[in-house]
Amino acid sequence: MVKASYIPAALLLIIPTVVLLDVPLYDKLNPQLFGLPFFWWFQGLWLFIAAFMYLAAALILDRGDKDGRDA
Amino acid sequence: MALVTIIVFLALFAVFTFLGFAAAYWRKGDLSDLGQWALAGRRLGPYLAWFLVGADLYTAYTFIAVPSAAFASGAIFAYATPYVMATFAVAMIVMVTLWKMSREKHYITGVDFVKERFNSKTLAIAIAATGIIAELPYIALQIVGMRAVLIVMLEPYFPTTLAGTSEVALIISFVVLAVFTFVSGLRGAALTAIMKDVIILTTVLAVIIYVPTQINGGFAAAFQSAHTIAPKVSFATLSPTLTNAYVSLFVLSALQLYLYPHAINGVLSSKNVRTVRFSTALLPLYGVGLFLLTLFGVLVYAVPKALAIVHPAGVAANGTLVVPALISATMPDWFAGFAFLGIFIGGLVPAAVMAISQANLLTRNIIKEFVPNLKPKTETLIVKWTSVIFKFMALAFVFVVSDTYAIQLQLLGGIFIAQTLPAIMLGLYDRTFLHKYALLAGWAIGMASGIWLTLEANNFSILSTSFMKSPFGLLYISATALAINVLICYVGSALARLVMPSAKPAPAD
Repeated sequence: MVKASYIPAALLLIIPTVVLLDVPLYDKLNPQLFGLPFFWWFQGLWLFIAAFMYLAAALILDRGDKDGRDA
Repeated sequence: MALVTIIVFLALFAVFTFLGFAAAYWRKGDLSDLGQWALAGRRLGPYLAWFLVGADLYTAYTFIAVPSAAFASGAIFAYATPYVMATFAVAMIVMVTLWKMSREKHYITGVDFVKERFNSKTLAIAIAATGIIAELPYIALQIVGMRAVLIVMLEPYFPTTLAGTSEVALIISFVVLAVFTFVSGLRGAALTAIMKDVIILTTVLAVIIYVPTQINGGFAAAFQSAHTIAPKVSFATLSPTLTNAYVSLFVLSALQLYLYPHAINGVLSSKNVRTVRFSTALLPLYGVGLFLLTLFGVLVYAVPKALAIVHPAGVAANGTLVVPALISATMPDWFAGFAFLGIFIGGLVPAAVMAISQANLLTRNIIKEFVPNLKPKTETLIVKWTSVIFKFMALAFVFVVSDTYAIQLQLLGGIFIAQTLPAIMLGLYDRTFLHKYALLAGWAIGMASGIWLTLEANNFSILSTSFMKSPFGLLYISATALAINVLICYVGSALARLVMPSAKPAPAD
């Protein structure tokens, strides 16, 4: 009983982790931001992006629960 | 350190104590009922749940240990950031499922679920014992963090009797904590968690904005000084040989957090599924504070006055002092008092939550197995008293063993708690295949291999690392031990079903 809404929600939840799993992608010194190496600020930035994506996932799942009445 | 620091600290501690007791009257329930006392009546809304679960993350230990580790080992400890990010994705999936099931079947702990799902007392007791043991060094480390604050604050006044004075101060604080959690239960922790988080968030933001402006060249200069002072450590980027170490550390830590009994306890106290979802979705924002705190371990290299406290000439550096030293060296005295109290109760509040969850496990999932006819009132009373006992056990533990040893035991605790993943998390989704004996075997061999690999990686002497050499470079031992465990669970289940065709799948709904 996989609901259609689960797929976009699952993607929203998984993408941030998948991006940070690719360590060589961001294990670099430049470009720097406020004097912070790329390695540091890139990961910090993803905390904000993740909160935003998780919130979107929560909204989708919440609506799905109401439709399917399994809450 | 001016007297005003200590006065502000004491005044705020009085407010904290008042809140802790007042909580008993807040949304009053019958506190002799376990669901009321230990889960605050399962009535926490999204904001409170956010604060309470966030409180577990923002502990004195994180405040002290993460910057301390970054100070000593550099970029590898940036893993705290992807770890908190990933852990909430796990929680949004797994914990929502556990919450729904717990509400329906009145579970109070994760082990309640394991027992019913697998219909095995032995497995339930094994998982409960693992949770209790893994939680102990976690509480002990809160105390190590609190002591770091006391050391920096009291050093000028009690230079010769510092150790004794801080132990007395710790004992007094724990008595206060024990009395108010006894009276108010989880409500006390939830209300005081708000105070603690407000103070801590303010502190982190103030320090991270203020300190770099005091350093010529800001963060860039701090990374430069760190490199000059400790040339062997890589601060700015991660050495490519450590890629797999980094990934295994952050992924396993993310899986482990929500296996800790206190984290499950926090989730189960939420009012409804929406609360769990929305409070969890916003928790990565807490991680921002943790991210900034990790950077304190680098910043301290650029503040000579703070560095002198952390690493006095001629003695070994004490990394646990990084954050308190930076605060005392750069911020106004009254603010230091405010910030120190934040870190201090940042140890007390989680210690209370952790001790409550240990006591729940011991009483419901171990004692009750042997004394099944406990009256609900007696059960609640035992939980209240054992939570007091666990707090003081942790305190005694810290007075007896050294700080460094306590930190190493925490690493071992993480490896232990990972071994409960198959029973709790896989059990939630696999309703029929997994077999209880296979899970027991997986748990036992996972624990044994975790211990063995840790000893081997440390050449059977003092524990100092939780990484092992492997064909993939250094790996977090927890990853290997869990992989062995999961493999045995599935292979073993397949065998069990072949050999014992009568082995009926556990009752699933």
